Amino acid sequence: MTHFVVGLFGDPESALSAAGSIQGADLGTPELMSPVPIEGVEEVLGEKKSVIKRFSLFGAIVGGVSGFLLAAITAVLYAHPVGGRPIITFPPYLIITYELTILFGIVFTVIGFFVSARLPNGLWTSFWKQDENRPYVPEAAVDKFAVSIGCEVDDVQRAETILREAGAEAIRDGTEEVS
Amino acid sequence: MSFLDRIAEGWRKNRKPGYYENFDYHWTMTIDLDQCSGCGACVTACQAENNLPIVGEKAFAKGREVKWLRMEHYWEGEYPDVKLNIIPMLCQHCDNAPCETVCPVSATYHNQDGLNTQIYNRCIGTRSCAVYCPYEVRYFNYNDHTWDSPLDQQLNPDVSVREKGVMEKCTFCIQRVRQAKDAAKDDGRRRVRDGEVQPACVQTCPSQAMAFGDRNDPESKVSQTLDGPRAYRVLDELNTKSSVVYLKKVGTEA
Amino acid sequence: MQGDANPLKYTDIHNDVVASIVETGSNYYVALATALALTLICFFFPWFYQLYYGIGAAGMNHPGVWGTYLASFIFWIGLSHSGTLLSCVLHITNSSWRKAMYRSAEAMTLFSLVVAAMMVMVHVGRPWFIHWTIPYPNQMEMWPNFRSPLLFDVMAITTYITGSTVFIYMGSIPDFAAVRDRTRGWRNTMYSLLSLGWRGTDTEWHRLHWAYTFLAVLIIPLAVSVHSIVSWDFAMSIVPALHQTIFAPYFVVGAIYSGTAGIVTVMFVLRKFMDFGEYITELHFDNLGKLLLVLSLLWSYINLVEVFTGFYSGASGEIEALRYRLFGFYAPLYWEMITFCAVLPLLCAFKRFRTSFVPMLFLSIAINIGMYTERFLIVATSLSRQYLPDAWGLYVPSAVEISILVGTLALFTTLFLLFVKIFPSVSMYEVKETMDTPKKIPAAASGGSLA
Repeated sequence: MTHFVVGLFGDPESALSAAGSIQGADLGTPELMSPVPIEGVEEVLGEKKSVIKRFSLFGAIVGGVSGFLLAAITAVLYAHPVGGRPIITFPPYLIITYELTILFGIVFTVIGFFVSARLPNGLWTSFWKQDENRPYVPEAAVDKFAVSIGCEVDDVQRAETILREAGAEAIRDGTEEVS
Repeated sequence: MSFLDRIAEGWRKNRKPGYYENFDYHWTMTIDLDQCSGCGACVTACQAENNLPIVGEKAFAKGREVKWLRMEHYWEGEYPDVKLNIIPMLCQHCDNAPCETVCPVSATYHNQDGLNTQIYNRCIGTRSCAVYCPYEVRYFNYNDHTWDSPLDQQLNPDVSVREKGVMEKCTFCIQRVRQAKDAAKDDGRRRVRDGEVQPACVQTCPSQAMAFGDRNDPESKVSQTLDGPRAYRVLDELNTKSSVVYLKKVGTEA
Repeated sequence: MQGDANPLKYTDIHNDVVASIVETGSNYYVALATALALTLICFFFPWFYQLYYGIGAAGMNHPGVWGTYLASFIFWIGLSHSGTLLSCVLHITNSSWRKAMYRSAEAMTLFSLVVAAMMVMVHVGRPWFIHWTIPYPNQMEMWPNFRSPLLFDVMAITTYITGSTVFIYMGSIPDFAAVRDRTRGWRNTMYSLLSLGWRGTDTEWHRLHWAYTFLAVLIIPLAVSVHSIVSWDFAMSIVPALHQTIFAPYFVVGAIYSGTAGIVTVMFVLRKFMDFGEYITELHFDNLGKLLLVLSLLWSYINLVEVFTGFYSGASGEIEALRYRLFGFYAPLYWEMITFCAVLPLLCAFKRFRTSFVPMLFLSIAINIGMYTERFLIVATSLSRQYLPDAWGLYVPSAVEISILVGTLALFTTLFLLFVKIFPSVSMYEVKETMDTPKKIPAAASGGSLA
C-alpha cells in the first residue's frame, strides 16, 4: 500500500531542491503543493504538457461551424423574406459565427481544464476526509510549501531523511486525518 | 436529385436577393396631392376599418396616438402668403424595408404580395422597428384599450384587436385583399381585377385622390401613373423602394 | 510595502480575506437590508405595475419609443466592460497592480450583466414572450431572426455572461480551497463543493495558468465585440444621428471608460468598508487615474469627430439632429455630459489628484453620471429629430422610469454585497505572488525540533 510522506518547507527554494533530490533518489515524481505557483518547477521536475489547447481549438472550430449552420439552416427552414435581403446573408451570420466560436471555445477550455487537472477529485465529495491517493495539508494553502511523495513502506525512511536534509520544518504522514 | 445538388439549389435560391421581383401581386398605392384636400376622411375610415384604439385625451397629449394614416402638415411662408402642403403618410410597404430586418423574433416580414406584414401574435414589443422606420409610421400599444359602448358595436370582426405591448401599422387593409383574392379564386380561379379591392382610405376619399392596384398588371390605374413626371416617393434617396407613390402637387398657385 | 519594517506576510492577507468573509458586523446587515428594501421598492414594484398597465407607465411615446430603459441597458453593459476586459488585458501584459483589485472588478462585470439582462425584460412590451429570442425547436417551427442586430445582442450577451462567470470562477478556485480549510459547517460544505478538491499541486497550478490564459485571450475579442454589437442596435438603422460608423468604437471606448470609473468607485468602497487598505493602495488609484485620463481624451476625440463630420457633411437630417442635441431641449444635459466626461477628468493629469481617494471617488461618480447622460441623449435626441419634421416629438422620462433606474443601482449593490460574503473579494494567491516570497531561514537559527 502506498505510503505518503509530506514535508513542509518555509520557502519555495528548499521545497524545489527537496523535490529534485527525491526525484534524483529514484523514489518517483513528487508533488509540490503551494499557496502560489512556484517558479522553476519545470526545470527541476521536467516539462509539463497540457492538452487544454487542443480542447480550446476543438471547441472554437465546433463553435464556428455550428454558429454559421445554426443561423443559415434555421433561416432556410422557415424562410422569412425581410428587407430585400437574401435568406442566407454573410454579414449578420458571421457575427453569430464569431460569438459561438468564442462561446464554445470558452466552454471547451473549461472542460479541458477539468479533465487535465483531474478535478473535481476525491476531496470534493469527501470533505474533510483525506483521499487515499491524494494527500493534502491545509498549511500548503496558507504560507507553507509542501513536497509529498508516495512510496512503499521500505522507502519511507529514506524519503524522510532526504526531506529533513533539505530543511523541512515538519514531516507528516500524508494519509492521516486532519482534525 | 442528389443531396449535394439539393444543397446547391437551395443555396442559389436563398442567396439571390430580389425575391420581390417574383411577387404574385405587387400592391401599390398612388396619392395625388393635387386632389387631396386634407379633409382627413381617410384617417377616420382607417380608424373605423381596422379597430384602431382610441387612446384618450391624456395619452394623446403625451403623444401616444395611434393613427395608421396621418396627415402631415407643412407650412411655408409668412402671413398672408402662407402655403400649406398636406401629405397623407402611411406605411410605405417598402421593398427594402429597414424595419423588417431588425425584428429579433421575425414578427414583421415581406409577404408574397409585396406587403410588409406585422404579425401581432409574434411581436414581443422591442420597438426597434419603430426606431428603424424613417417614415415613423409604426405605432405601439402602450396600454390596453377599451371601446366604451356604443363604440364597441362598431368594431370590425375581420380584424383583430391588439393587446398592449405589440406594434401595429397600416396593412393596406390586408383583410380586404384576402377577401378579394378568395372571391376571385371561388369565381373560377381568376386574378383580382383592378379596382375590385380598395383599402378603406382609398374607398372613402371624397376627391378620389388615392388609387390602389397591382403594379404587376400593366393595365391597372396605378401602373399608368407610376412612371409619370409627377410621380415621386418620399425619402427615395434612402433606397427603401416604397410601394406608395405620391403625385406632386402642381395645383393653382397664385 | 517593500521597505516597511514589518512587511506583509502571506498569513496577513490570508487572515484578512478569510475574516472579511467569515466575520460579519451589524453594519453589513444594515447595508444589505437597505439595499434589498430599495431594490424591492424601487425596482420590482414599479416593474410589476408596468407589467400590469403596459409600457404606458413609462414616459415613452411616438416617436420617442425608446427611453431610459434602453439607455440603462446600454449603460450597464458598458459598466460590465471594465472588470473582465481590464482583468484579461492586464493579465496578458503581466501587470502586477491588477492583482488586488481584479476579483471585485470581475464581480462588477458579472452583476452589471445580470442587471442589464433584467433591463431588457423591463424594456420590451411583452416580456413573457422573451424566450422567443432564444433558438429552440418549438411547435410553431419558428426560429429567431438571426439577421437582426438585437439577436446579435442576445448571442453576444449570453456568451459574455458565460465567459465572465467561468472566468471569475476559475480564478477563484484556489481561494475557495484556502477558505474551505478555515471554515466549518455550511460554509465548509459550500466551499468544498466550489473548490472541487483543489490541493494546490504543481500540476494543478500549471493547468490553471494555461486555462486562465486561454480564457483571457478568448474574452478580450469577445468583450470588444459585445459592445460593438450593442452599438449596432442603433448604427444599423437608416435614421440620421443613429446611422454612424463611429458608433462601434464610440461605444467600446465609452464602455471601458465608464467601467474603469466604476472600478474606482468599487475599490474605494472595498478599501473603506472591508478593511483592505493595505492591499488596495495609492498605486492602484494612480494607475486607474492614468487610464481614466487616456480614455477621457479618447472619448472627447470621438465626440469631436461626430460633431465635426456631422456639421461638415451638409446632410440636413444629420445637421438638424446635431443642432438639436447641442442647443435644443436636452442641451443642458449635453453640456453636463461634456463637463463631467471631458473636462473634469483632465484633473487626472495631476498625480496629487490621482492619489487622493475621496476626490477620485467623486470624479468616478461624476463620470458615470455623464456616461449615463450620454446613453440617454443618444436615445432621446436621435428619436426626437428624424427625417420627417411633422413626426418630431419630445420624450420625458416618467416617475416609474426614474424609480426603476434607482432600483437598478440598488439591485447591483445587493448583488455585490452578497458577493463580498461568498467570494474572497481580493484574490489571495495573486496578492501573495506580489509579496516577497518567504526566504530560507539559516539552519543554525531554526532551533532543531522537527515535529
